[in-house]
Amino acid sequence: MSTATMERTLEDSLLLRLRVEELLFTEADLLDSWKLESWLALFTEDAHYYVPPSDVDGDTATPDTALFYIMDDPVRMRERVVRLSKIGAHSEHPRSKVRHLVTNVRVERDGDIIRSRSSFIVSRAKDITHDLFVGHYLHEIVDQGGELKIRKKTCVLDMEALRPHARISIIL
Amino acid sequence: MALTTGIINDKERAQFLVPRRAFTDRSIFEKEYEAIFNKCWLYLGHASELAEPGTFLTRTVARRPILFTRDKEGEYHALLNACPHRGALVCRERHGKGRAFMCMYHGWTFGSDGHLMTLPGSSGYPKGFKTDPQKQMAHVPRVERFGDFFFINFSRDGEDLATYLADAGDTLKLLGEHSPSGMQIVGGTQEYSIRGNWKLLAENSFDGYHAACNHSTYLEYLGNTKGALGADPLKGEAVDLKNGHAMVEYTAPWGRPIANWVPIWGEEGKKEIDAVYAELQSRVGPERAERIAKKSRNMVIFPNLVINDVMAITVRTFFPTAPDYMEIIAWALAPVEESEWRRKFRLYNFTEFLGPGGFATPDDVEAIEKCQQGYAVGGDAQYNDISKGMARDGAPSFDDEAQMRAYWVEWDRRLSEYEA
Ligand code: FES
Ligand SMILES: [Fe+2]
Repeated sequence: MSTATMERTLEDSLLLRLRVEELLFTEADLLDSWKLESWLALFTEDAHYYVPPSDVDGDTATPDTALFYIMDDPVRMRERVVRLSKIGAHSEHPRSKVRHLVTNVRVERDGDIIRSRSSFIVSRAKDITHDLFVGHYLHEIVDQGGELKIRKKTCVLDMEALRPHARISIIL
Repeated sequence: MALTTGIINDKERAQFLVPRRAFTDRSIFEKEYEAIFNKCWLYLGHASELAEPGTFLTRTVARRPILFTRDKEGEYHALLNACPHRGALVCRERHGKGRAFMCMYHGWTFGSDGHLMTLPGSSGYPKGFKTDPQKQMAHVPRVERFGDFFFINFSRDGEDLATYLADAGDTLKLLGEHSPSGMQIVGGTQEYSIRGNWKLLAENSFDGYHAACNHSTYLEYLGNTKGALGADPLKGEAVDLKNGHAMVEYTAPWGRPIANWVPIWGEEGKKEIDAVYAELQSRVGPERAERIAKKSRNMVIFPNLVINDVMAITVRTFFPTAPDYMEIIAWALAPVEESEWRRKFRLYNFTEFLGPGGFATPDDVEAIEKCQQGYAVGGDAQYNDISKGMARDGAPSFDDEAQMRAYWVEWDRRLSEYEA
């Protein structure tokens, strides 16, 4: 068996999936515990974070031509974290209780990029409201010297509208 | 003077008070549907959403499901989306292409103009049944177009659209003038809701007073982002556009893809923005061009159309389904010919401030929901204060509340007229 096909073996693809799952579960844990600076550190310097709306094909749409809910570049991702650390981010003060469930993780290699598709339910509870965000994640991951880093995270909502949520004030 | 609705509008004492039951009372909510949503012109959609003949979209306007179509001749139709047979929704898709709409229950099939094309099992019906006006899909009583904006009215009589829009018409025209080739709704719709009374969103949409406190983190973010701000100060005035419509118009430090350059866009960007401005000047004249390019505007067209021409343009409409719950739908409007670069910046600008994932709208939502929660303290003596700027000499400032008073006076007029 050649090296190139090695990874197709069951052991290697399992190992890759476990590595990616470890990353996704760490990410979920950091978001649930509001360790947003550490969450940011899971991303590459040129990372993007997207949430498309419900009436476009979220798997293929681009925020350059369609109106998204969120189209963060690295600057805005950082500013999002800075903003959420402030008392003036009224929507998240006091902070909501957040729980990310990540399942059905599928992983494949695409050249230097590792593409992961997974399912999520994110629960947000704050005073009299409790909302569930349901959808799937598309993570673009790169191996930086043995460490996996996220280069792009797209949260595709499998929902018809943000009702009654009104806002995505937490990080999905 | 205490108005029928209990609003206190006392110019001498510079006092404008709105009783909080306007936001909580079920019977007022029902009356609003009769007196306002069934009488006023309501925004339906933009011509660019049905760019080609033979296309359609469905949308809920003030609780009613509407099928908006364009037939093969290019004519627009606004139909009540319910089957004349047993009432099922005829079209269940959001949008698409198609000239025939088959009801999934018994298969009655309708054309783009609502006429009954196919009647399965027609031998069971008398002659003339198929052409009976009652067996066709019903049209919304009135549809009118102002520029590329379509409005509908559920009432057969009343003033025409242009009269209704009064001075708001000129601002709609101004939006059309952003572009030599027309404006379009960009794909991608923000659909959300707020657990608060719908009039709180109307107020919030042109409330210049809340920015410093409610949006402090947004303003700090702009400050942090090198080159995101130009030199123009936040300064301007409120304008009463008659019939309950009003706007605030002001200069602002943020960049506008319609020719207000900020350093973050770079020298290349400056060249393009300069060219856009030059074209604008030669087409509409220097005065109008300056107003279009340099001034931001937040306009509310009574009762529920918001057009904010700010760091991008949002068209937003909403309606209540209960006193404490509303559904909102928002779009981005942009010049058709806009370059890739400008379009990208426009959408980047839009999502920075506006919408459920922006750096500002979530805090507006929080404010509206907390107002609604606060009203639960109850008691007849509970009033909202809308009097800021009443005692001021000269033009009302953009951060006064004159624009909201114009809105409330119309709201009161419509409800009082209905009661009389
Ligand atoms: S309800 Fe539409 S065909 Fe019967
Ligand atoms: Fe606001």
